Amino acid sequence: MAERIAIVGVGQTHHKSKRPDVTTAEMCAEAVERCLEDAQMSMKDIDNIIMGSFEVADGYYSPDKWIIPELGAVGKSGLEMQNVGTTGGVVAATGFNIAATGLFDAVLCLAWQKMDEAAGAFGRGGGGTNEYWTGQFPMSPITNFARRAYAYMDRSGCTEEHFAMVRVKQDQCAMKNEYAQLKLGLTLEQVMNDALLAWPIRRLHMCPTTAGAAACIVCPEEKAKKVTNKPVWVEDWFTCHQGGSLTMAEDPTSSTLAYASHLVYKRNGITNPPKDIQAWEVYEPASPAELRWIEEVGLCEDYTAWKLFEQNKVGIDKEIPFNPSGGVTATNPIGATPVVRLVEAVLQVRGDAGEHQIPGTINRALATGYGGQGENVIMLLRKTL
Amino acid sequence: MTTEQKQDPEFIQFRYPRDVTYHHALGYQSKFANGLKQGRILATKCPVDGRCTIPPRIVCPMHHVRQTEWVDQGQRGRLISAFKINFPMFNSRTGELQTWENPIIAVELEGGARMDGWCMETDTSKLKTGMLLEAVWRPEEERQGRADDIMYWKPIEE
Repeated sequence: MAERIAIVGVGQTHHKSKRPDVTTAEMCAEAVERCLEDAQMSMKDIDNIIMGSFEVADGYYSPDKWIIPELGAVGKSGLEMQNVGTTGGVVAATGFNIAATGLFDAVLCLAWQKMDEAAGAFGRGGGGTNEYWTGQFPMSPITNFARRAYAYMDRSGCTEEHFAMVRVKQDQCAMKNEYAQLKLGLTLEQVMNDALLAWPIRRLHMCPTTAGAAACIVCPEEKAKKVTNKPVWVEDWFTCHQGGSLTMAEDPTSSTLAYASHLVYKRNGITNPPKDIQAWEVYEPASPAELRWIEEVGLCEDYTAWKLFEQNKVGIDKEIPFNPSGGVTATNPIGATPVVRLVEAVLQVRGDAGEHQIPGTINRALATGYGGQGENVIMLLRKTL
Repeated sequence: MTTEQKQDPEFIQFRYPRDVTYHHALGYQSKFANGLKQGRILATKCPVDGRCTIPPRIVCPMHHVRQTEWVDQGQRGRLISAFKINFPMFNSRTGELQTWENPIIAVELEGGARMDGWCMETDTSKLKTGMLLEAVWRPEEERQGRADDIMYWKPIEE
């Protein structure tokens, strides 16, 4: 029988485009220090560490050999893993799995990316869903989301102006988040006139390259209750991979988000997502994707989310409180990005999100990780058991 | 002559250039690559639901059964999606940065499989989902079993 588990502490760096002042390991130590402080724990309380980044974008392999000593964590049990954009998601999900065994008291989940050191590695392609085939096309997150955005416009009837509305909303949220990287004070006109990368995707639509790290500590129920009076319960989690299989992507706008989120809803008795979940931190690598993701998690009918932006219904204090942190288009330390979503969701449930706190009680929050051609990790949190 | 000394930066970054060439095996997909050299588009077919897949897979991703049947997908298909790149990206054939004039598209072939390719029409406003397209191949002697053995997909009047 699995143990019930809770997140007892979270921490992240102030995300920036460049961090020449620290090594990757030092940057990780920053996030871990903040996480331990938040949990009021020390490294001696941690007995398992799950960690990871997107190794190609870091430029070295087996980073745990370097980072663990810098964290003062030599001799502890743990795993290092990588899964491109979903890395932080599989780090967290694996940490949840391990904590749920009840074999460990406190599992530290750490993810990072220092994209100022090898951002170009990403643009070189390779890998993806099939090394032989997709590796031959000039594919990148930009082109991936250009394809999705074109197909979305074609099917929904929305225009480029709606994509700009999404970007402005994301920026308005980021402006309130002290940890966010891009805080630009954008107008619709600025977004509409920004440099075109791959039609209809403009530079401002895309997530930036970021240096940053994020961490959380997960404990089984008994330990969690001893450590904190504000545990955030991990109700469920699910990692869904598909490798771009067209059998799961009949519609080029779609990802596995609808499949994965509704699977989690079903096994947790969630029948009305807009009512049952009060905070959403959903990994949107590009502004137009947020429209489709809002639909896929069940907040409105397919191809209608753009109307919610037209009606000004999406925002921190609006009907649809979606991505109150400012989201991935403001901050994207890629391997860590799903943990940044998780950290925000935890803060929202605790009521600790400060200026970007969603009004009212947050009983449930949903955070996700996204990667590749539509992989998703779902993390469902609860205030009370 | 100035005696002013150049100040060292407080934090230093080292540069580590790396140039690695990989040699990846195509395995089961070799039949598909050889088909391209012959001007044919071959896909694997799932014995359970009949779905054809490109790139070919030895096992159906949904039904977990061996896919031993190969189906010629024909030379025509319909447009599913398109995008155009406005910045230089790497060409895996040359390893160099390149600008891409032709939109990258996804096509649903007559045989039911879907594949990526480049479109001959460069004006994206003229690309409509569902439009009919036909493969335009490189001369046979230039084909290498690669995606750009099909140079373009040409729009066909209906």
